[in-house]
Amino acid sequence: MGGNTGSRFSDDVVIEASGLKRTFGEVVAVEGIDLAVTRGEVFGFLGPNGAGKSTTVRMLTTLLRPTGGTARIDGHDVQKSASAVRRIIGVALQDASIDPLMTGTELMRLQAVLHGISRSESRNRGSELLARVGLAGAAGRRVATYSGGMRRRLDLALSLVHEPSILFLDEPSAGLDPTSRVALWEEVRRLNSELGTTVFLTTQYLEEADELAGRIAIIDHGRLVREGSPADLKSTVGSPTLRVDVDPVFLESARHVLIGFGPERPAREGRCAIGLDGGAGRVAEVVRALDDAGVTVSHLELDLPSLDDVFADATGRRLEGAEK
Amino acid sequence: MTCLPTQPAAASRGPKSESTTVNAGAATGLRLAGVQTLALTRRSVVSEWRQLGNVIPGIVFPLLLAAVYTHQFTRVILLPGFPVVDSFLDFVLPASLVQSVSFGATEAGTELARDIENGFFDRLRASPCMRLPLLLGRLGGAVVVATAKGVLIIAIFLLFGTKIAGGLAAAVVLVAAAVLLVIAIGGLGQVLAILTGSQEAVNATFPLVFTSIFMSSAFFPTNLMSGWFREVAEANPVTWIIDPVRRLILEGWSWSDVGQALAVPLVISVVTVAMAVIALNRKLSSS
Ligand SMILES: Nc1ncnc2c1ncn2[C@@H]1O[C@H](COP(=O)(O)OP(=O)(O)O)[C@@H](O)[C@H]1O
Ligand SMILES: [Mg+2]
Repeated sequence: MGGNTGSRFSDDVVIEASGLKRTFGEVVAVEGIDLAVTRGEVFGFLGPNGAGKSTTVRMLTTLLRPTGGTARIDGHDVQKSASAVRRIIGVALQDASIDPLMTGTELMRLQAVLHGISRSESRNRGSELLARVGLAGAAGRRVATYSGGMRRRLDLALSLVHEPSILFLDEPSAGLDPTSRVALWEEVRRLNSELGTTVFLTTQYLEEADELAGRIAIIDHGRLVREGSPADLKSTVGSPTLRVDVDPVFLESARHVLIGFGPERPAREGRCAIGLDGGAGRVAEVVRALDDAGVTVSHLELDLPSLDDVFADATGRRLEGAEK
Repeated sequence: MTCLPTQPAAASRGPKSESTTVNAGAATGLRLAGVQTLALTRRSVVSEWRQLGNVIPGIVFPLLLAAVYTHQFTRVILLPGFPVVDSFLDFVLPASLVQSVSFGATEAGTELARDIENGFFDRLRASPCMRLPLLLGRLGGAVVVATAKGVLIIAIFLLFGTKIAGGLAAAVVLVAAAVLLVIAIGGLGQVLAILTGSQEAVNATFPLVFTSIFMSSAFFPTNLMSGWFREVAEANPVTWIIDPVRRLILEGWSWSDVGQALAVPLVISVVTVAMAVIALNRKLSSS
């Protein structure tokens, strides 16, 4: 994903920002961000509260004027060709509430009409999308009676009514219970894999970024501090921990083999652990070496560094536990 | 990727076909604006309908006031200089009408402010919805409600014996004038909504509207007033609307009265809606 960016015809880059900046008076919310999201990617924008995620999304979706830099969506400048951008994007904003007096069906129809979709077509699409997000039963009810999770799902359905090729989701799972969160992830994956929708997703949940995003940018205090695939990012903050359980009689020989692959790390009784130099790719090599030494392995596990380690490495703070 | 092969084709069509494309684009744009306005009007009518309780005071209070005044002012109508009427009720119809629709006339602004406050407005903005429909759509609900109220108030007055000398056509003008006034006040409410983004700020204009009805010829003819109050009432646009409307009721059809009754609120509407459009454009291009 996003690997073949060397091409001069970079028409595959659908979300492009350079030096994007936004200040509110004295407050610098976003401080010169460069982004290049390729068609078909799920791009995770990870950062703590107040990092500048929503401000970035609002600029990319034409709702907020940048105070510096430029951004293009599928080649259209967000300021000069705002209406062209609005036709091709779907947006689920973080704090855009839904008119509580309207029903799900009515809102779907309104959204469809605003996109110039015909009446009959909008009726079909509306009910189909509502069913897909599990709101078929509540479609005729006023939004005032919906739970927070139902509103987020309606929000997603609304953003999809015109079959956008690029979808912006600002903290889509904030406030969702674990079940709804997993359902949302599945829907995002489905959109991406079946329809090829490019997804730009902001989150402060490490797990969400890890689960969904092919590539991640970490933002803190308005600046990008890291960017890459979750695996690559994790591999930059140190070697993964390899733990091997063996029969006690083999423990010494196992340790002897293992320390050839990296420094020993603390492990509980009857187990040997090392920091695997060269990363996960060397596991097979380790197994072969153990086998050659006649060691029978009963259990083997590899612990990659977490995205939180990445975040900590970049900012000196932890993201986990900092959530409200 | 797809735009590469189509570009030379578009260029080879030459300037003539290009201008037709532009015209077609404008027509489609206009049609889409119409469709969007209708869809948003529908939404505001639905939300008005679902908050029907809000409409009740605007019907009950003016009727109650009309009943009390009619009962109290049986001798007032005999004052020299007072228009010739059978009952104060005939005299007070335009006042009740204007008062009734003025309740909730700021709704177009309050509702817009509510959309801005809770972020629904951003959802609309992120869609290809044009700017004018955003404002007109919110006025649509107020217009429908005002029409219904106007018809209801007139029907009730007729039931209690009021005669409209100008006939059915005059009754239609009455309702139209009231609706235009609602657009005028609604536009002003929208200006405030856009400038402040706060429902409270918009609601704060209601006492102003309410007072300006009392400081007009609504309940008393200006020729029987005196001093500064008379000056205020004569300079009050509400008087400029009420007076011709009243002549249509009491004296009969007159094109000049029809013209004045409609032109005054129409001009104010055009001004306030234009101000709202300008305010929105300013806000959006600076945010
Ligand atoms: N309209 C605004 N006016 C002033 N400051 C703002 C505004 N919007 C955002 N900010 C500030 O910009 C920073 C980034 O905010 P935001 O983009 O909402 O962060 P996130 O979405 O990552 O939580 C915060 O310090 C926030 O207070
Ligand atoms: Mg945010």
